[in-house]
Amino acid sequence: MTAPTETSAPTSSPRAARKHARSGALRRIVAIARKEALHVQRDPRSLYLALGMPIVLLLLFGYGVSFDMDHLPVVLVDEDRTPESREIADRVFASGDLHMVGRASSGDEAHGIFARREAHAVLILPRGTSESIGRGEAVEAQLLIDGVEANSAAQLQGKAESALRSASLAMSVEAMGPRAVAIPTEVRLSTWFNPEERSQLYLVPGLAAYILAIVAVLLTALTVSREWERSSIQQLFVTPVRTYEIMLGKLVPYFLLGVVAEMTVFVVGAWVFDVPMRGDPLALASASLLFLLGMLGQGMLISIVARNQMVATQVATMTSMLPSMLLSGFVFPIENMPLPLQVISNVVPARYFIHALRGVLLRGNGFPEIGFDLLMLTAFACLMLFAGTKRFKRELA
Amino acid sequence: MSSILATTLGRDFGKAPSVNRAVGEISLEIPRGELFGLIGPDGAGKTTLLRMMAGLLPPTRGSVRVEGIDPFGKEADHARDVIGLVPQEHSLYGDLSVGENLDFFADLYGLTGDDLRTRRDRLLSITRLGPFQARRASQLSGGMYKKLAVACALLHQPEVLLLDEPTNGVDPPSRRELWELLYEFVEGGMTVVVTTPYMDEATRCHRVALMDRGEFIALAPPQQLIDSLDAAVLEVALASVPEAREKATAVVEASPLVVASSPLGASLRVVVERGNEPAVAAELAGLGTLVPAAASFEDLFLTAIARRERDAKSSTARKEAA
Repeated sequence: MTAPTETSAPTSSPRAARKHARSGALRRIVAIARKEALHVQRDPRSLYLALGMPIVLLLLFGYGVSFDMDHLPVVLVDEDRTPESREIADRVFASGDLHMVGRASSGDEAHGIFARREAHAVLILPRGTSESIGRGEAVEAQLLIDGVEANSAAQLQGKAESALRSASLAMSVEAMGPRAVAIPTEVRLSTWFNPEERSQLYLVPGLAAYILAIVAVLLTALTVSREWERSSIQQLFVTPVRTYEIMLGKLVPYFLLGVVAEMTVFVVGAWVFDVPMRGDPLALASASLLFLLGMLGQGMLISIVARNQMVATQVATMTSMLPSMLLSGFVFPIENMPLPLQVISNVVPARYFIHALRGVLLRGNGFPEIGFDLLMLTAFACLMLFAGTKRFKRELA
Repeated sequence: MSSILATTLGRDFGKAPSVNRAVGEISLEIPRGELFGLIGPDGAGKTTLLRMMAGLLPPTRGSVRVEGIDPFGKEADHARDVIGLVPQEHSLYGDLSVGENLDFFADLYGLTGDDLRTRRDRLLSITRLGPFQARRASQLSGGMYKKLAVACALLHQPEVLLLDEPTNGVDPPSRRELWELLYEFVEGGMTVVVTTPYMDEATRCHRVALMDRGEFIALAPPQQLIDSLDAAVLEVALASVPEAREKATAVVEASPLVVASSPLGASLRVVVERGNEPAVAAELAGLGTLVPAAASFEDLFLTAIARRERDAKSSTARKEAA
C-alpha cells in the first residue's frame, strides 16, 4: 500500500501519469508468434499434419506409386510347337518383366482371358516361327494387349517387342553365325544421373514439392480465418498491432514447422529411397526456404480472404494439391501438356521448385543453373505476402 | 471536453439495390466520466454504433471523435491507447489461460515494468480472477469470462471503455458484480458506454439512449425518460372467471386503444393513451378492472417502439392512399 494511487483507481489514472514504455513492432510480432506457438502446442493436430503427413505421403507414394512395372502377366499361345518356339518363349519370359501365367490353344481365347483378368496380354507365336529363326528372318509374333490399363499396355508393348527381338536375334545368330544375320542399327543406351532408371529418384523431388505445398498452405490457411471465426480479430484490431505484424508473427512458428517437415522429406528420401545429393546443399536450402515462404504466403492470403475455416481448408487443398501435382511436372511432363496448361504451369511455383530440386539432387546443379527457378520462387513469395498485407485491413465487415 | 462526440454518424451494409441502414444518422455527445447506456431490440444498430466508436468499422457518413481523436484518421494508433473494448462475442483465446491472455494483450499494448505488474495484480484482484490465472479461458464461467475480457480491455488504462452486452449469458450475481465494477471505473473518471437488452440495467446508467432501427428515439437520464411517459400505465386486476387471463390478453392485444402490453406475474400490464382508459375498461368489462400503476422503463421502451411502428404503418398507409 505504498502507492495509494494504484490502490484507489488504477484503471483510470490520467494519461499524463501513464508510465508504460512503448516498444515497437518487434515486441508485438514476438507476442503473436508466441501465442500462435501456444495454439499449436495446445492443439497438436497441426503438429501431426506437419510431421506425420510428410512421412506417410512419402512412404505411400515412394513405395506404392512406382511407375516401373515388372511381372506383367501374359498368356502364351504356341502354335508352332517346335523346340525353337519353346526356346524363344523361355528367353522372352526369362527377364522377369513379363510373367507367363498360363497357356492357351489359340488367340480366340484372348477375349475370355481379358474379361476374367487373367492376364494383361496374350503372346502368339505363329506356325513357321522355327523356320523364320532358321532363315535369320524376323519372327512375326502377335501380341494382343488389354488396353484398359493404358499405362501397363504401353509398357507391355515396349517390353515384349524388345524381349522378342533380342531373343530371336540371339537364336538366329546361334543357329547361323553372326555374318548371316542382318542386324538392324543398334543404339547403345546410356542413361545418365539415374542409370537404373528408378522412378523414385524422379518422384521424390516432385513429392517433396507436393508434400510441402499441402502442409504449408494448410497450416497457415487456418490461422487468420480462425481469428475471424472466433471473433478474436476484434480484440486484436482494437490494439495497436498492425496487420503486417500479425502476418509476420503468425508466419514464424509455421515457418519453423515447415522447415522441419521439409528436412523430414529429404532425410526420408535419402535414407529410404537412396536419393542422392549431388549438387550444392546451399542452393537446395535456398530453393526450399523460398518455396516454403511462398506456400505459407499463399495459405495466409487464403486465410485472410476466406474468413471461415471450412472455406479456407477447401480452397487451400484445391490450390495447393492439384497444381503442384498436375501442373508442376511432378506426374506429367510439362512439354507434353496442351499449350494452355503449359502457360498456366508457368505460375505454379512447384514447377520451379521441382526443376531446381531435380537439378540439385540428381544433376549436381548449383546456384548458376537454378538461378531462374530461385528468381521465380522469390517473386511468388513476395507476391503472396504483398497481396496478403494489401487485403488484410484493420477493420471489420 | 466531451469524451465521445458523434456527428451525423451512420453506417450502411450491402450494395446499391439492397442497402441496409444499420445506423442512420446519429449525433451524440458523451461527457467524460459518464455511464452511458444504449438500449434497443436486437438489430437496432447498437453493436454497429459501438464498433464505429471503437475504430473497428469505418462509418458510411458522419464522423466520430473519441477524446478528440478520429479513430479512423492519422492518429488511429493514439485512439487505440484511449479506447478499451469488450466485444459481445467470446473473443479471447479459449485455449490460452487467464494469465496468458492478459500477458498477450499487455505485449500488444507494449506495456512493461512494475507499473504493468501492479495494474495486472489489481485487475486480477478486483475481478477475483487471481486464483484462476492458470485456468484456460474456455473453462471459465460466463461471468468470469466477461470479467477477464474487461480486465484485458483495461490493461492499458483507456479513458473510454466500450462494452457490448457484457451481461448477456451471465448469471445474476455476476451481473451485479460487473455493474459494481463499472460504477467503480466511472467514479475513477472513466467514460463507460454499455449496450444492453435488459431494461433493469438501463436504469443503472447516468443517461440512456433508446435505439430502434438505427436511430435514437429517446435520449435522457432513465428516470426522466420514465417520468416523461405521456400515457397511462395500468394493471389489470382480473375477475375470478375461468380463463380470465387468456381472454383479457386476447382483448388487450386486439384493442387499437392499447399502445403496449406485457405479462405481469399472473396478470397483465397495459399502456393506454391518456383519455382512453374508460374505453379500455369497457372492453375488459367482466374480465377485470384497471388499476393505475407506476411506469417502469420497460413500459416506456415498449410504448416508444409501438408508437414508432404505428407511425410507420400509418405513413405507408398514407402513401398508399395517395
